[in-house]
Amino acid sequence: MIDWAAFVVVAGASLLGTVVVVSLYSLGLRLLTSAGRALVVDPQSFTGAITILTPKRAAKEAKRARKTASANPLTVGQKRLALVGAYTCFVLCIGAVLYGVYLIVPALHR
Amino acid sequence: MPVDFTLIVVLVIALALVFDFTNGFHDTANAMATPIATGAMRPRVAVGLAAVLNLVGAFLSTEVAKTVSGGIIREGDGGVQITPEIIFAGLIGAIVWNLITWLRGLPSSSSHALFGGLIGAAIIGIGFQSVDYNVVVAKVILPALIAPLTVGVVAFIATRLAYFITRRDSGRADGRGGFRYAQIFSSSLVALSHGTNDAQKTMGVITLTLIAGGVQSVGSGPQLWVIVVCALAIAIGTYTGGWRIIHTMGRGLTDVKPAQGFAAETSTAATILASSHLGFALSTTQVASGSVIGSGLGRRGATVRWGMAGQIALGWVLTLPAAAIMGAFAAGFALLGPVGIVIDLLLGSLVVALLFRRAQRSRISHDNLHDIDDAGRVVKIRKTPRKISRRDRKKVAL
Repeated sequence: MIDWAAFVVVAGASLLGTVVVVSLYSLGLRLLTSAGRALVVDPQSFTGAITILTPKRAAKEAKRARKTASANPLTVGQKRLALVGAYTCFVLCIGAVLYGVYLIVPALHR
Repeated sequence: MPVDFTLIVVLVIALALVFDFTNGFHDTANAMATPIATGAMRPRVAVGLAAVLNLVGAFLSTEVAKTVSGGIIREGDGGVQITPEIIFAGLIGAIVWNLITWLRGLPSSSSHALFGGLIGAAIIGIGFQSVDYNVVVAKVILPALIAPLTVGVVAFIATRLAYFITRRDSGRADGRGGFRYAQIFSSSLVALSHGTNDAQKTMGVITLTLIAGGVQSVGSGPQLWVIVVCALAIAIGTYTGGWRIIHTMGRGLTDVKPAQGFAAETSTAATILASSHLGFALSTTQVASGSVIGSGLGRRGATVRWGMAGQIALGWVLTLPAAAIMGAFAAGFALLGPVGIVIDLLLGSLVVALLFRRAQRSRISHDNLHDIDDAGRVVKIRKTPRKISRRDRKKVAL
């Protein structure tokens, strides 16, 4: 009566889905940083939210990002490649999410 | 659509929609507390988005609704005759228990309150044989035990992965702030998955009522108008509940980093979506709490506050039997006939009115962020030693 296989499927599917999505996005961020374009989130663009980052902290972060970019050992071509890789990762990540949603909606494939 | 809707059927549908509303109201925080806390989204946008996605999610999959309407109570020719009165009593029990726990700031699950209420009412109203205990164990109790654990493990792994992949030499920007943008999407997915699981429970109850009232054939799924109405109720509840979060946002929240929040939300959404697909009626609150704890443990220097974890677990275990007792009491009255129904309604609204008066008085201390916030506090994070990182920073500068 108790369908243990179903539990294994749920656990496996959620592990696989999460690992794929998180890895792709993290890899995308990493490549973006390597390409000298580290994302620094400016609290000004999130007004109304709780400001966890103070303006001072954000300025510090921006400085760090610039420093990282200037001390980047990669050549221009390598940077460009990293940027392409980063965007590929983001696109694949979005694709994985959409595929996951597609899988669970019966109306889409019946 | 036949027109022989009796008063009691209409009453039960109205009550079920109230439950659906409180469910959305209660659970907005699950999806949107972390992105608001990490500053990933403006609260207004977050709440509106959550409402819309709940609406959409409710239409995506109706497997859970079928579990509720077709599994737990043995209705139909071969089984017992469940009446709308019993469902009515079950709902009263669920709503009252939900409001009590919400007001006391106890961790609980709307879904378990609903199932508890229904089971209690059915046992008193019809007898022990009316409940299909196999389905209750297989599709409600076991998922309730297993899901928070699995999602915790998944979130732990995901958090470790996210930190591992984005690690940099100390002193350099790691770009982890970029996880804030990802959180916009991951929290949206949680809201969507909430619609695929929680809105379904009310659809299941209404369908069960329609079957019990003889309006719908046994074993059929929810009708379109039921889906639409439930989706709307949960969306409006989500939106209304969100305003409370915004108003109580001044308090400190659990310290959730963007990378951690993203990992937690992704695992929550993945688990709920997979479970919805297979018809498991999960508690979304418990899954969200499990992933917050798991992802917290994935951070450096994390330790568990076992006492707090125990408290939360106790609250979860209590919900089903407590709501069952409430439902049983309500069913006892409901058996008296129309007079009993009126007594139930009066008692129910009296409790609700009292609770709301109490809530007005203690608005700040109890709010619907508690469940996730408590879960977050289970994990204690040691601050990274400053000295070492400063020395490293100097090295980089040289």
